[in-house]
Amino acid sequence: MKVDLAVLGAGPAGANAALAAAGHGLSVAVIDENAAAGGQVWRAPAPSVTRDDADARDGAALREKLRISTVEHLDSATAWLIARDDAWRVDVARHGRSETVTADALVIATGAHERVMPFPGWTLPGVIGLAAATILLKANGVLPGQRTVVAGCGPLLSLVAASILKAGGTVAAVVDLASRAEWLGALPALAARPDLLARGALWRARIAAARVPVFHRHTVIRAEGTERLGAVRLGRVDAEGRLVPGAPEVAIAADALAIGHGLVPDTAATRLLRLRHRYDAASGWVAARDGTLAGSVARLWLAGEVGGIGGAAVAALQGRLAGLAAAQALGRSAAAAEAAQLQAGIARAGRAAAAMSWMMRPRPAMAGGITPETIVCRCEDVPRAAIEAAIAAGARDLNQVKQWTRCGMGPCQGRMCGEAAASLLAPHVGGRENVAPWTGRPPLRPVSADDLLGDFDYADIPIPAPAPP
Amino acid sequence: MRVDGRDVVATPGISVAAALLAAGIVVLRRSPAGDTPRGAFCLMGVCQECTVLIEGRAERACMIAVRDGIAVSLRGPHAE
Amino acid sequence: MTNADRFDCAVIGAGVMGASVALPLARAGMRVALVDRGPICREASGVNAGTLTMQMTRAALIPYALKAWELWMDTPRWLGLSVGAEQRDGLSVAFTEAEVAILEARAAARRAAGAPITLVDGARAREIEPGLSERALRVGHCPVDGFASAYLTGRAFRVALEGAGVALREGVAVTGVERVRGGWQVRVADGEPLMATRVVLAGGVWLEDMAGWFGIRLPIKVLINQLAVTERMPPVMQSVLGIASGLLSLKQYPNGTVLIGGGWQGRGGRHDGRGDAFVPEALIGNIRLAAFVLPALRRARIVRAWLGLEAETADALPVLGPLPGVEDGWIIGSVHSGYTSGPFMGALLADAILGRPLALPLFPIDRLLAQKDAA
Repeated sequence: MKVDLAVLGAGPAGANAALAAAGHGLSVAVIDENAAAGGQVWRAPAPSVTRDDADARDGAALREKLRISTVEHLDSATAWLIARDDAWRVDVARHGRSETVTADALVIATGAHERVMPFPGWTLPGVIGLAAATILLKANGVLPGQRTVVAGCGPLLSLVAASILKAGGTVAAVVDLASRAEWLGALPALAARPDLLARGALWRARIAAARVPVFHRHTVIRAEGTERLGAVRLGRVDAEGRLVPGAPEVAIAADALAIGHGLVPDTAATRLLRLRHRYDAASGWVAARDGTLAGSVARLWLAGEVGGIGGAAVAALQGRLAGLAAAQALGRSAAAAEAAQLQAGIARAGRAAAAMSWMMRPRPAMAGGITPETIVCRCEDVPRAAIEAAIAAGARDLNQVKQWTRCGMGPCQGRMCGEAAASLLAPHVGGRENVAPWTGRPPLRPVSADDLLGDFDYADIPIPAPAPP
Repeated sequence: MRVDGRDVVATPGISVAAALLAAGIVVLRRSPAGDTPRGAFCLMGVCQECTVLIEGRAERACMIAVRDGIAVSLRGPHAE
Repeated sequence: MTNADRFDCAVIGAGVMGASVALPLARAGMRVALVDRGPICREASGVNAGTLTMQMTRAALIPYALKAWELWMDTPRWLGLSVGAEQRDGLSVAFTEAEVAILEARAAARRAAGAPITLVDGARAREIEPGLSERALRVGHCPVDGFASAYLTGRAFRVALEGAGVALREGVAVTGVERVRGGWQVRVADGEPLMATRVVLAGGVWLEDMAGWFGIRLPIKVLINQLAVTERMPPVMQSVLGIASGLLSLKQYPNGTVLIGGGWQGRGGRHDGRGDAFVPEALIGNIRLAAFVLPALRRARIVRAWLGLEAETADALPVLGPLPGVEDGWIIGSVHSGYTSGPFMGALLADAILGRPLALPLFPIDRLLAQKDAA
């Protein structure tokens, strides 16, 4: 398939980029792994789920716009390789085969995934992410468990707890790294988003009405159980996320734990392309972009979280801006006034997003508190002690840690362990800003050999000339 | 759904991972390195923990929607 | 030891070659600096396919590779740590009559050089490797084969080098070498130069640039090898599989991952960082070939692919010996199947530097320079 613009990701950023570019006459293909557009926050609910909240309405409106647009939506599609020749080339595994999309311009809008700082027992079935809980509840209509502990930091805590209660479930406790005072301190930044303030107040009222115990300045010390989660043990922490010595522990029986410590931009694609990245205190390592969202190589734009955590509202505006920029670069006349308007909107919405991003941040002492036997890399079962041993043996960058311990070599490709591994290395190299992320490698997701190969016989294999005899 | 040959009632259109959870099936596989039990974790296709055999292919259960009679095996993503 | 002190030898390039020279020199009592612009064994030595095979080794190198093979299998003894080396049966498969001809010629040459290769039919090969394709016509079988986990190389060498007192300088880019009174001044970016009596160039694909410091023009071709690995799988193979033309190397590690290599080419060069331009058709072609040879791979999921640079001289034989016309200057690079032969070649050059008798001849580079003059 040959198009003017290829867009990676059909979330708020990617879908809006595609729509804006198509609106200015570009032929556009948007490639996304999910069956329907919307990304995570605006994820399409299953037919059995009825919802009428703002995110559901925004997501439905986006999908309708895409449906009636000229945008080619490659859904259920895994972009596994991106290469640049004269044009961009994206190899896509879809419906059991691999196809190639070539495009003059590329927008990367691959979003973010959840960060969960490791703790003993976090690999037990029954432990899920906070964002994972929202997907279960809002897109599938399924409760995480009979009794759920909701833990971590940021606004998803209240959202998940309130959603469980609304769905008729039981929240055993809410465990928040932040103090009440930190939340109050974040309020002024939200003044520009009264909708968010109102939603937050509603969630908290629901939690209070259900008399759910809320533990501020607490963390999960460990998840307990053998084959699956049976209980969650909590402890008090200080502002840095360090356990307070001698403080009493609390054990809570639960069969589900939803826990998250903010979001991590998914830079697998931008790292694969060797784009310039930068370290940002709130978002971590992100792909660098200028005011028009252009990345560090020509004809490439970065919309949404891949260039810094900003939330769905910011991502949607950035998507439009990137789509307009691509249209302009390919010779279509895009209204400069609209771009200026979008930039102003991004700045406004960005303030609230920055406050929320700050509340979601992992606390600085958390990595240091990981016990030696705690699994850091879930795919390869690599404990902290193995990572420390590699560092003691001289590993000074994440790639070496990966080579020497297999941390990050499994099928999640380092997405689940990368943050924790980098935080463990950081004190040995002068801080997180000196720990560059893993070198990007294809495929961007594990891809089935069957999907790549198709039907072939020996004669169809283009075997090069023999090696020297 | 057919889960290891057993009928499991599931809501069509929700993800296989969500349907398994709703049916009380939380242990989906064992980790290949440490042989410890694993269940769905991120539910958005990133962590790969819910990778099981669906209709004979290694698939993330959170990315595949339930349809009538869909065959799921929890004997490992590379089981015969 | 600080840079102001004089080293007996500065080895530039901390891959398998450089590390294998530095280690015996230090153990012989020399003060040795091992300098690399990046971490130890992070280029070709850390990312290659780890194949320890005779059937893809050039006939002239077989005696060296056989000795190095013994060393790889025994790293706990001389390095102190395992690199995950495993002995396996090696099978080189021919599917067409043309490949049978290649196989027979190459097996004969290698057998003459000392590799215990025999030719078997497909049925016998499938007794050794039950997963092998039924289409195999003729198969070279060599019991001296196997693999290491290349990514553990740096860690193992580092322990030994530090134990031997080698001054390992990682992240130090050498910008040039100059003759000074009684030795060499090794200039580095952002730092004090190193002083050394002898200098050894061991820069892999960057040897061409390094030789240039001495006014020597040594053309080095850069191969951009694409590799891919699957997620952990139940056992699907037990041998090391290749094809007669050499364009496949396939092995399953004890952890269950299957590594697919063979030297299918990506794009780039030594000045493009790590040359990370994949050629998708070549990646797919390589995996197709792997799945043709071992049909069980169709079910595999590919989790990672990468590129490794490999150097090649005009005759695809090593550079190993003195720098012509340069006193106390040496060069080493195996330049094709270098990982396999590396530990022995490094020890051999160390013997030459120490003036000890040599177990096998060096590969002086004069032949490569002469070729250039003739051209």
